[in-house]
Amino acid sequence: MRKSHPIRRFVLAGAATVSGIVLLLSLKPATDPGSAQAAGGAAPPVAASPQGGAQAAGSGTVTGDAARTQYGAVQVRLTVADGRITKAEAVQAPKGGQSDQVTANAVPKLNQAAVAAQSADIDAVSGATYTSAGYKQSLQSAIDKANAAAGAGQGSQESGGQGPGAAQARTVTGAVAQTQYGPVQVRVTVSGGKITKAEAVKAPSGGQSTTVTADAVPKLNQAAVAAGSADIDAVSGATYTSAGYKESLQSALDQAGG
Amino acid sequence: MTTTLAGGRAARRQTMRRIRPRRSPAVPLVVALWAGAAAVLWLWWDNTPSLADNTAKILAAGRITGLLAGYLMALVVLQMARVPALERRVGSDRVARWHAMSGRYTVCLVVAHVFLTMWAYALQSGRTLGDVVQQTIDSVNTLPDMGKAAIGTGLLFVIAFISVGGIRRRVPYDTWYHVHLLTYAAVFLTFWHQITTGNEFAVEPTAKTFWYGLYGAVTALVLWYRVITPIRLNLRHRMYVEAVIEETPGIVSVLIGGRKLHRMGAEAGHFFRWRFKAPGMRFSSHPYSLSAAPRPDMLRITVKAIGDHTSRLRELKPGTKVWAEGPYGALTAQRRSRGKVLLVAGGVGITPMRALFETLPGASGDITLLYRANSTQDLALWDELSAIADERGARLMYAVNSPDGERPDISAERLRQKLPDIDQHDVFLCGPPGFAQSVYEALRGAGVPARRIHHESFEM
Repeated sequence: MRKSHPIRRFVLAGAATVSGIVLLLSLKPATDPGSAQAAGGAAPPVAASPQGGAQAAGSGTVTGDAARTQYGAVQVRLTVADGRITKAEAVQAPKGGQSDQVTANAVPKLNQAAVAAQSADIDAVSGATYTSAGYKQSLQSAIDKANAAAGAGQGSQESGGQGPGAAQARTVTGAVAQTQYGPVQVRVTVSGGKITKAEAVKAPSGGQSTTVTADAVPKLNQAAVAAGSADIDAVSGATYTSAGYKESLQSALDQAGG
Repeated sequence: MTTTLAGGRAARRQTMRRIRPRRSPAVPLVVALWAGAAAVLWLWWDNTPSLADNTAKILAAGRITGLLAGYLMALVVLQMARVPALERRVGSDRVARWHAMSGRYTVCLVVAHVFLTMWAYALQSGRTLGDVVQQTIDSVNTLPDMGKAAIGTGLLFVIAFISVGGIRRRVPYDTWYHVHLLTYAAVFLTFWHQITTGNEFAVEPTAKTFWYGLYGAVTALVLWYRVITPIRLNLRHRMYVEAVIEETPGIVSVLIGGRKLHRMGAEAGHFFRWRFKAPGMRFSSHPYSLSAAPRPDMLRITVKAIGDHTSRLRELKPGTKVWAEGPYGALTAQRRSRGKVLLVAGGVGITPMRALFETLPGASGDITLLYRANSTQDLALWDELSAIADERGARLMYAVNSPDGERPDISAERLRQKLPDIDQHDVFLCGPPGFAQSVYEALRGAGVPARRIHHESFEM
């Protein structure tokens, strides 16, 4: 029965909410304390060199510690054979909202880079700064663990895993990617680690989609062969088909690589 | 058939009860609400190690507002789930005010969430603030479950628009009520994008479980108390209109028959939401208080014919089927903490007071009823009240306008003069908002502490 003051209440609630949120935001540090510590902690140099360094890592898989980024956790698993990183994959990566796209784009590149560099000294993928930083942090942790395991002599010696390079010429079909105009599915022929042929086994059809598909798919096929990866430009006027194509292509490449 | 319903056995049994004030659970509930909000903020805090730049900060603000909106959305629905602890212990009126307040706040949070998130996404994809609209369209098209969320948010805005004070008063109650029911659809549609695109839920399985638990519990309560409980109640009691009686010009009583009505758990002061299966009244339910203690074979409501619905009550045919939901309301004997009670009724606000006057436990002289009406002709149920007063040794006073239209003086001094120990009373107050407000102030002036003035108001 006390007099209510709707305007006053509205202003108070608004001010309290805004200042609460601003306070929460300002309490968060600008950089991740965890990563700063890891970076400053003088990480020991990287995994054994291909030529067989002093500490030859064993074979098997190691999973690095999860690194937290502001978009979510990143965790890297390495397959190591004879002291070489033969495969890198992210078992955790940021999800949700735009992060799905960023992750889908960045993680395959980071995986490739890790295998190529054989160390955590890899470039960040542009547009995925935080994910890259988290990836490097977890990668370093995995490499450290691999080294430690090798140092303790726990690694069982098994020669040569099935690295991506070892794959024979073969045809793989990617997963179906759903777009708002219909499903897209890509089949690639991979030989010697390269894409020799790319084709769409499914693409939107019906109405305008038939024209769009006829125009876009050949271009996308060419681009895929030229790029050797799913990192291809979208064909203008066929944004959704291109996105679906890239998604299915990536899935095919993942299968070929694995 | 007589209009007098006094002296039932159930009523007499109620008068024998001991005074046992029950504390309202409002305070612990509000504490739980804040604790839940803190837990939701913790989800964000725990999942966000750092904020590097302004884009990240804007996105974080969008996430916080989104999380809070998602949390409050569940509570807004819970507040209307007709949970007995809320309806009868906290009070339907208070819970309805909470609902309105948190509903408005939630809509504001949703607006902030949409705007901030889309702004941040626009900045992330190298656009500017001006591209927020384009970014919103793109995000709705590309992100999972965002189409549903966009429709749900649109519904929420429609509901918010129709509930704004000025528009609310111009829209017929039934229209407003049915539009309001779309809230369930809106909540359902917006739920999924929280799970699939919400960073906190996509990453943390515990958070996802917590969220499913919150929404699942609310859904279960709504189904139980808004659907199953009323069906069971009406199947068991099978109510129908027994008779309609004109009490005074413009005030009618509806007598409702049925089976084992004393087993409904209704007490004096409670109300039900009534739906009469007659043309034009089938689709909306209206709250009316019981105007007499329930008898095994009969309930009675007394209503002033002011609106569409209330005027139609007069034409109800005996035998019309009745669908009731309840009992609700907290203006009952459980609010009382003292031996002495003053009941103050304004106009048709007499209905719950009439039932309490008959059933409140008390010795001779403990109970006083002050009845305010425009004229002595408008004193509905007066004969019954006099009979009860005689039988119980209770005091009955009325205040009406003088013949020249002057309003009676209900001031602190006058109240103290009539009831010298008024500050030792519990006061139950029911009447139109202006009347209730002025009496409340007079009572406070006469020394009655606020915690002993019991009032139910459905003004938002």
